[in-house]
Amino acid sequence: MILKGFRWLRNVGVLGMNRRNAEYIMRLNPRSSFPLVDDKLKTKKLAEAYQIPTPPLYRVIERHGDLARLEEMLGDHQDFVVKPARGTGGSGIVLVTGRTEGGFIKQSGEVIPTRDLAYHISDILSGIYSLEGLEDRAFLEALVRPDTVFDAVIYRGVPDIRIIVYRGVPVMSMVRLPTRVSDGKANLHRGAVGVGINMRTGATLSGVYRSGVVTHHPDTDKPLTGIQVPHWETMLLFAARAVDMINLAFLGVDLVIDRDRGPLLLELNARPGLQIQVANQAGLLRRLESVDKAPPEILARPETRVAWVLETFATPF
Amino acid sequence: MKRPAVLLAVALLLISFAVISYRVIWLKYPIFPPVRTKVWQLSMEAHVKGGERETSAMIGLPSAYRGQLIAEERIHSGTLNFNLLREGPNQIGIWSGAVSPRGEVIGYSATIQIKPPRSYKTRTPPLGLYPPNVEKKDQALARRLVANWDPLPPADRLRRIAAAMRGYWGTPPPDQDLQVWSAFRDKQGRLTAFLVLLRATGLPAQIVEGLPLAESVTDSTQTWIEVWTGQEWESLQPEKGEIYQPPVPLLPLTTNGLPVIRVINGELSEVRWTLNRGIISQWRMQFDRIMRSDRFLDRWSLFRLPEEFQRTFRILILVPIGALMICLLRNIVGFPTFGVFLPVLMALAFRNTGLAYGLGIFWGVVLIGYVVRRWIDKLRLLLVPRLSVILTLVIICITLFALAGNKLGLREFMAVGLLPFVILTMTIERFFVITEESGAREALWTAAGSAGVAVITYGILELEPLQLTFFVYPELLFAVAAAQVFLGRYTGYRLLELLRFRKFWRSS
Repeated sequence: MILKGFRWLRNVGVLGMNRRNAEYIMRLNPRSSFPLVDDKLKTKKLAEAYQIPTPPLYRVIERHGDLARLEEMLGDHQDFVVKPARGTGGSGIVLVTGRTEGGFIKQSGEVIPTRDLAYHISDILSGIYSLEGLEDRAFLEALVRPDTVFDAVIYRGVPDIRIIVYRGVPVMSMVRLPTRVSDGKANLHRGAVGVGINMRTGATLSGVYRSGVVTHHPDTDKPLTGIQVPHWETMLLFAARAVDMINLAFLGVDLVIDRDRGPLLLELNARPGLQIQVANQAGLLRRLESVDKAPPEILARPETRVAWVLETFATPF
Repeated sequence: MKRPAVLLAVALLLISFAVISYRVIWLKYPIFPPVRTKVWQLSMEAHVKGGERETSAMIGLPSAYRGQLIAEERIHSGTLNFNLLREGPNQIGIWSGAVSPRGEVIGYSATIQIKPPRSYKTRTPPLGLYPPNVEKKDQALARRLVANWDPLPPADRLRRIAAAMRGYWGTPPPDQDLQVWSAFRDKQGRLTAFLVLLRATGLPAQIVEGLPLAESVTDSTQTWIEVWTGQEWESLQPEKGEIYQPPVPLLPLTTNGLPVIRVINGELSEVRWTLNRGIISQWRMQFDRIMRSDRFLDRWSLFRLPEEFQRTFRILILVPIGALMICLLRNIVGFPTFGVFLPVLMALAFRNTGLAYGLGIFWGVVLIGYVVRRWIDKLRLLLVPRLSVILTLVIICITLFALAGNKLGLREFMAVGLLPFVILTMTIERFFVITEESGAREALWTAAGSAGVAVITYGILELEPLQLTFFVYPELLFAVAAAQVFLGRYTGYRLLELLRFRKFWRSS
């Protein structure tokens, strides 16, 4: 029974956690590159150098002392996002949509007093949300206003697009839609919905919510399938170019689509999760193996890599 | 990519296997140390009376002769000095000194394991001389008597001679020879007569003095003859001319005709030999031998540690198996645990608190900690002070448990101080963070996984046969490391991934 199950997973080409860690992350992703992806500010700087757009940076806060001048530092920005530079899994992120007397309006509609926001940033600085509890930096960046195409299928918050890139080739992707449960965050383990994307057309497939397959959004009950993701080829190109920035052969690239600015790079992930396979109802391993078999010349440039994907992954498999 | 890891694992296994083989084959360690084995408990007591000058009592003691294993030797020497002297295969205990007018009691006891005869090797002994005081004509007579049997194999020659001593000659020799031989036998005694015949037919033989192996208390020893029949020593009862069937029920004390008891300037009275059957575990037989051996591995054995540290190491040496269990649970099953160390440290603490109390206290502290942590979250304390508060809370909880245990008379509650408090603190923090980030379900799963591994690890640590085996063969740790390396290269699916991807299994 168990062996039969394992054989089935292998035949479908599902990538398991052990193989992901040993054969892809440990073998292909050098540790020395991790600091660049673990620190969102470093990633941002790097992306700028490679002309990949990111959400505009407002402020970097490095010292507890700066917090006394928080209001002053914000200038006249009405909406913004607070993020820990080294946060994981969306923890420590606060979306502010407006300001009121003596406080800020969170995306949930709740008002957070200035003092509490300062405490939150102070928590970030002392490393509560950072990997290994190291001291951290906080930064404020522009709040992304998501493209209207997703309006029907988001409860609140900003959906993002995760593309898995292997040796520079985008191999699988999904849209992550926040739900009421996930509190506006786009992380699957917090309860966001992941919806697979047809790599050639950029149209959505079915979704994964918790660990089950879904076809409708759990909050809005609108169909998830068949939504055309805008700027699809541009995003594939950004993802393909991420490898030129950083020496990681197995990479998760997270993008958002701003209705004014277009696709923006949010962050990179050296240990992308495996639920994306359920969203796409397809195994990653098979796609990774097909990249390994691809002619070497197509791997040379981002444009040829994207062209190869559009041609090869025409049908979901 | 897999190759170096596999090579390392195989190398570790080989090291482990080689050292164990060396111990078993050359140092004669028991393969399964916890297995119980039958032994004999021997004890000797005697009363020494002295004269004017210094008295010496020399008594043959059992030696590690032909594979018998001697352990737990105890000497009682009163005011006398005791020395151990090795003479060939014999081990002679010498009690010496000035004996008080009232005499002196001396004693010896040991545990002896008799190994089956095939388990040891003996070299062919040289053919000795005829016994002294045997004239040339008697030697020639003996040669004539046994000449017929020369073509027979040694074992058969022995049987013919034994039969002849009982009076059955087969084809009887001439009457005249027989008469001379009878006279010689009566004059020299059956023992010498036997030795002369055996020498004449070319079989090496020796006189052995010892005790019959039976539960008994006796004041005298027995004498028998051992004859080399090409492959092994066979034992012969000289009075009746009977050959003992293996396993030979005799315990040799001295060989080569040396008397068991010799006393200079004094006398030994009330000598009492006691033999009892006993059953002890094999490692106890090893213990003494290892303590005395000067072989490298014996000198570096864990048995050489002082007793109080040995107890620690018997447990410590099993901890890597606990870690191996965690590897299995996490990488093969896919079950989450709070880190690698928490379950192992908890298992160690359970040894003092007991399983039920230990688990109860663990859950109690984590839940109290969680409630307080939730409340503290509102205070927005900085990371390090916040962890310090939780640590203090954990210590307060543990102290209260101990005090309550004292009032209720529950020792297990008082042993709570040995719970790994730092780990408990981190667990409360992790439990809270997982609850916040991934929900209470995930946090409870992780806590249950940790508790499960702790229980399994506790079970392993408490397995006495396993403790013993690892204590006798610490090189098994290399084998454990090999298993860990193998697991480290397991890139197959986890059991719980079947569950995780089952939806998409159904749909296709």
